[in-house]
Amino acid sequence: MKRIDVKLAVPVVAPLLDVIKDMAGGLGESLAAPLALHDLDADFRAAWSDELLAAQKVEVGRLLGLFDDNFFREGVVAFDADNAEVILRACAAIRLRLRARALKPLADEVLEGGGADLLAVPDPVRKAFMCYLFLATLQELIIQNLDESILGS
Amino acid sequence: MAGVWRVVVLNDPVNLMSYVVLVFKKVLGFDETTARRKMLEVHEQGRSVVWSGLREKAEAYAFTLQQWHLTTILEADETD
Repeated sequence: MKRIDVKLAVPVVAPLLDVIKDMAGGLGESLAAPLALHDLDADFRAAWSDELLAAQKVEVGRLLGLFDDNFFREGVVAFDADNAEVILRACAAIRLRLRARALKPLADEVLEGGGADLLAVPDPVRKAFMCYLFLATLQELIIQNLDESILGS
Repeated sequence: MAGVWRVVVLNDPVNLMSYVVLVFKKVLGFDETTARRKMLEVHEQGRSVVWSGLREKAEAYAFTLQQWHLTTILEADETD
């Protein structure tokens, strides 16, 4: 099974984990990408929401689980065919939630481009944006290295 | 609910282009070229019809795309 080990700088990543945990808390109660299917039957819609929420909660738990005691000792996180999809989705969920909750001062063009004047924004926004970019980097690493594993699973 | 339904993915400024391409390949079975073309439609036009057909299957695709955190709607195809 193909696997990638990613060495991260613990002092840089550790502060971002607080932001991820903060965003993850709310993702047990509401969807990162709200359901826009307005013509669904109410019961059907509720069932969908429950199922999507349960899956979202598991995904975010797996992401947080990467940053365990071993990570703080070694600074390494590992991705393989077993966790690639859920981590990708968890990163997407947290990034969407960051946009909705912590990155409102930044224009959509900035979020799409990934470049912001970090000196011009308040510290909480700066930290949230760093987290937003960090999660995108994890996604890019997984997609570049494990694309075939995901498509084959 | 009979007739043809369209699965439409809406743009968001968050999800990476490479991520959307991967999801289209994974969920809808697109080849790389089709996935990239559909992703660019979403990005540039704000939406793309990624599948059309019977309601039940359209719902299944919409659900799976939502699992990947892509905002998805269903539209009745009233062109006939």
